[in-house]
Parts: sequence; structure tokens; C-alpha cells
Amino acid sequence: MSLRGHSAIIGYGETEFVKYRDSGTRSNYTEQCDAARLAIQDAGISKDAIDGLIAIPPLDQKVSWSMDLAEYLQLRLTFLDNLYFGGASGAAGMLYAAAAIDAGLCSTVLLVGGSTMDPKRMFEFGSEVATPFERDFDTIYGPMTDNSAYALIKQRYKHEFNATDEQIAQVVVNARHHAAKFPNALLKKPITAEEVVDSRMICDPLRLFEIVMPCTGASALILTSADRAKDVKRPPVYLLGGGQSIDRGMWNPAYGRDQSLTTSPVKQATSKAFDMAGLTINDMDFAQLYDCYTITVVIALEDIGRCEKGQGAEYIEKTDLTYTGSFPVNTDGGQLGRGQPYGACHFMPIVEAVRQLMGRAGDLQVKDARFGLASGNGGSMANECTIILGNETP
Amino acid sequence: MLPETEPFWQAAKRHELVFQQCRACGQRMHFPRLMCHQCLSKDVEWIPSAGRGTVYSYTIVHQAAHESFASEVPYVYAIIDLDEGIRMISNVVGVEPAAVTIDMPVKVMFDDVTPAISIPRFTPA
Ligand SMILES: [Zn+2]
Repeated sequence: MSLRGHSAIIGYGETEFVKYRDSGTRSNYTEQCDAARLAIQDAGISKDAIDGLIAIPPLDQKVSWSMDLAEYLQLRLTFLDNLYFGGASGAAGMLYAAAAIDAGLCSTVLLVGGSTMDPKRMFEFGSEVATPFERDFDTIYGPMTDNSAYALIKQRYKHEFNATDEQIAQVVVNARHHAAKFPNALLKKPITAEEVVDSRMICDPLRLFEIVMPCTGASALILTSADRAKDVKRPPVYLLGGGQSIDRGMWNPAYGRDQSLTTSPVKQATSKAFDMAGLTINDMDFAQLYDCYTITVVIALEDIGRCEKGQGAEYIEKTDLTYTGSFPVNTDGGQLGRGQPYGACHFMPIVEAVRQLMGRAGDLQVKDARFGLASGNGGSMANECTIILGNETP
Repeated sequence: MLPETEPFWQAAKRHELVFQQCRACGQRMHFPRLMCHQCLSKDVEWIPSAGRGTVYSYTIVHQAAHESFASEVPYVYAIIDLDEGIRMISNVVGVEPAAVTIDMPVKVMFDDVTPAISIPRFTPA
């Protein structure tokens, strides 16, 4: 069984990303509905063509969010899901939607996420969803939300592989380089590795500019069967492969199985995705990697097979990862360059992959891009999903 | 308090560090559960730890997520690998944060935060 080439993305929409304080009257409802409207218009289909919905509940909404959204938009559905497992929910949602279409449960799925979350309430949300075990065996020791979990990963990575902060900082330099040219980005000022390394220490060894800035915004995508995709105005972007792997303590890396902090489930998820697509890392014209922190990208580059384990920091230092370089990464600026709207960030790597593969990336277009990889990452590099997209079927 | 976790905190109050071991398959676990996550047996027992281990990884928290920790910054939040093969989150205290290193040998101490609650933390061994 394979989903290879059976479905295609035919449109996307993103609202304008703004700082929380500039959100004005924007709400979780208006954000997600606006992104949905833009995606439906982009695909050139009627709202009534949508018969499936996968939505990411904003952290401050109840978990029946997808039902609420369906009611708000008056959708008539035969398939509905509500994904609530962090940053892998977007890529995994594409796979679940593709499987549902393939099985005949529905024909066209709207996938949407986004929020107007006040970053100051992050800890509160974290506490609300914490398990009793996290409260008893983690929270009492003063973690700083996800920052401390990823700091533990970066610290261990530096120790095992003698990686330097300067090398790892190149992830931010690359992100800002793209963000400077990307219209819908909040951190447009180019930055040097020195400036990253000199920025304020938050959770040693993670500094301010290595951590995403939460913001307001939403993203949506439309997936339909490959047959239906032939009849729409946009050139279809085929879902060629995908894989998900969940294998570690979800929120705290200490409470997983006895396992390395520096090799992630990205490895297994990506290998599965390539197997399904019948492609390898060498066929990829770019990668859009979930980049909540610098270290996430370093480890992901190794685990997708772009370089050897332990070589990621050196690879980033020596390789041109810009849109004109030898292996373009996060060509929209990623979350480190654009800001992180919770829920929208689950879809950002996919939206940018589609933008590139439809040839709509403007000043940041990767020349002759045919195949690309997009990833999602949830928990503390615990729940990973990789998808492979292409504007042709290989 | 959950029935899973109560024996751990009762022991901590006596200044003892304990963790679980499955009688059926020998799997050791932390955090506590009522069932072995390896073989799913419900026959799990509590066994003592000598309280010695090493720092697997750590971070120095400079900005507290919650006001209750604001007066503590900078503090060390760490993963400790106990000699018995158990991995747990804790703090490394009694040392300058900048002096903490990966693989540093540590031993448990008990912080009597209230008459009813003692929290296991670690100091250099
Ligand atoms: Zn067992």
C-alpha cells in the first residue's frame, strides 16, 4: 500500500504574520477562517467542494475546535479530524488526509492551523496540558517550556560532536537571509553569527535569536485526489511519500526510552517517506525543515541523510543553504525568520515547499525545483513527520 | 497525588531515593507507573537507589518560565543518569552553574521545601 502520487495539493493560503500586540481584532476564528478562504480562492474551487477538514486547535481553545470551525464555516463534511500533537500535526495531517482520500472517505480536504496566542501565556498553556507525571517529575525542577528541553538537546549535541555556537548560529543567518526577501516575515533584519552568539542567554546554551518568536498568523492547504487535481487552475503538487515516527518522551527528553538525545525520529520518518516516494535525499531540490530552534535544523539535516551524524554543524558552516546554494533550506526564512504562529507553523514548511514547486516563490525561487522535502516536529524532537512533494510523479 | 507517584514522595520525605523495577522482566522505570512499560506486567516493586550518578545533559536557565522560579535564576535544570540505569530530571545545586559539566559525578540531596515535601536534587559528588 502506498499513497505515492495519489493526491495533490492544489492551493494554499497564509494570513499576514504580526506580533501579538498588533493582532487587533483578529481572533483564532478569523485567523483560521481567513487562511482557509485564501486557500480555497487560491485553488479556484468552491467552498462546497471541501468535504474533509483537519484543523489544529489553538492552545487556548477546547479540543473540539475542528467541529467549531466546521460550524463557523458551515462546511458539509464526510471526514473530520482535530490534530493536537504539536508541530508534526501539519505533515501528519497531510498523510491522514491523503489516506482518507485514497480510502474514499472524502475527496477534498482543507487543512488549517493558526492562532492569536499571547506568548506570555505559553507557560500557562504548557501547565494546562501537562500530565500529572510531568508536574511531579519535571515542572517542580523549573523547566522553561520547550526552551529548556531543546537546550538539553543542544548541550548534549555540542558535547558529543564538539560543535560550536558559531557554527550552529549559521541556521539563523540563513533563515534571516531568506526572511529579508520574503514578504510575510517578521524578522527581516539580516544577522551575523556573532550577533546570534552575542544575543541574550535564555536557556544556556540557547540564546534569544536561536529561539522562535511566537506571533499571530494562520496557514491553510487544500489536498485533493490526483484525478481531481488535473481539473484545477494551479499546477498540482503531488504528495509522493510520507512517514511518521513517534519514539521518545513527548515533552521531556529524559522521560523517553533509553535513547540518544542527538539522533531523532526524523531519521525513521524520513526513511519511510523516501521509500514510499521511490526517491532519495539526492533527488531533493530543497528541504523545508521545522525550525523551532537552531539545533532542530542541525539534527534534522543529519537525520534526513544530508550529512553524517555529528557533521551537521560543520555542514551548515561550510554549505550554501540559501535558495541559490547547493542545498536550499527554509527558503521562506522558516520560523526563525518569519515568527511562529502556533498551528500555522505546523504547515509553514509544507506551504513553502508548495510555493517553490508551483514556481511561485518570486525572488526566492529555487531554479528548476521538482522534488522537495518538508518536515514537522512535535514535542522535544519526539514526534516527527516527513513528507516528500513533487510537481511531477517520478 | 496519584497512586503511581505516592511511594516516591513518601520515600523522598524519608530522604530516600527510590524507583521501580518490574518483577516479571527486570525493566527499571522512572517516572513511576502502575504497570511495566516493557512487558505490561502489573507486578512492579520499589527499590532503593544509592543516589549516585552523572550529568547526562543540563541547561542553565536564565529566564524563569514561572514567577515561582524567578528568584532562583540562574539555576541548573539537568538530566541525571543514576548508576542503577535510571534517567531523571532534577537540579544540580551547591555549585556555581558555570562549573557544571556533562558527565560530572553527582549525588542526591533532599531539599525539605515544606514539612511534608522533600525534593531530590543533586550536588557534585
Ligand atoms: Zn516488565
